[in-house]
Amino acid sequence: MFKKNTAGVDTDLIKKRLDSRKAKMKLSLAACAHCTLCAESCFLFNARDNDPTYMPSYKFINSIGVLYKKKGMVDRAALQDIRDVVWDRCVLCTRCYCPFGIDIPEMIAFARTICREQGVFPDFEKEQKHAG
Amino acid sequence: MYDFIRGPMVWISIAIFFGGILWQVFRFLTLSQAIEEPKLKRPAGLVAEVPPAGVGGFLHALKLSIFKTSPGMIIVTSVFHLCLVMVPLFLLGHNILIERAIGFSLFSFSERTSDVLTVIFLFCGLFFLYRRLFLPRVRIITSGYDFLMLLLATAPFITGLLAYHQLFDYKTLMVLHILAGEAMLICAPFTKFVHMVYFFAVRFSVKGEWALGSGNRNW
Repeated sequence: MFKKNTAGVDTDLIKKRLDSRKAKMKLSLAACAHCTLCAESCFLFNARDNDPTYMPSYKFINSIGVLYKKKGMVDRAALQDIRDVVWDRCVLCTRCYCPFGIDIPEMIAFARTICREQGVFPDFEKEQKHAG
Repeated sequence: MYDFIRGPMVWISIAIFFGGILWQVFRFLTLSQAIEEPKLKRPAGLVAEVPPAGVGGFLHALKLSIFKTSPGMIIVTSVFHLCLVMVPLFLLGHNILIERAIGFSLFSFSERTSDVLTVIFLFCGLFFLYRRLFLPRVRIITSGYDFLMLLLATAPFITGLLAYHQLFDYKTLMVLHILAGEAMLICAPFTKFVHMVYFFAVRFSVKGEWALGSGNRNW
């Protein structure tokens, strides 16, 4: 049977974290009807020519959603992808709108917590991505 | 078999539907708690904006809502959801069956009205299907599950419409119609349809910028 390469990732710790907020997070993920009405409420979505990868629902589905879907069994590359979503595509301005009142910023912040615990976070000094 | 799905199975589905809703409401209440004082208050010098009276007030509220950015979607989704609830509830055929079963029923739309509303509902469903297939922002987060949900919501209407107009085999369509309706009722509280509970629970009771109600609870 194929076993995922989770070397360098403390999957037990991720699982523990995921379980600590499981009820609300799973509920929020289930309540999302994938309607995309949240799109325009994100200023980054508007500023990036309506790029759908900046849409709030895309961001939480592809971060905390992935972690719950895989029950924390993710490899380092997956965590790097999540890092790009939750830091590069979101500034946690908390202005996102959801018709069902899903607490999107909390989901993004929770994904950040999990990434940070695994040592996966942006090093702004090294990267200087947007430096002039 | 036919007697079972049009008899006890209907009551079982209705019981699961309402039981599931109650369970979800209970879940929401355990996950959130009542709050006493609002943390944020309008500064004393800042006067609250008074919306214009009458129709103007309604339009003003619309402009401040999501209607301003996505008017088409809001109109279609409102019509879709209204039809989804109203058509089966006020359908003459359903009410005759309910009357026979419990001796009481709601008022009924004329058959013509229900027929037209069903077609309108299905066009709204087509609009959603179009969005899922061709709009990049919807497509990027769409999975097979979303199509299944759309099918689950529209199947009772498609089969009901075909059965009413006696297209294809009536008996088979009736069985499919009953099964589709029961499947929708059973699945509603436990799938993505749970948004029907959380829309009211969260938007009307949780405090927040977009709250529609008093907001006396918080997560």
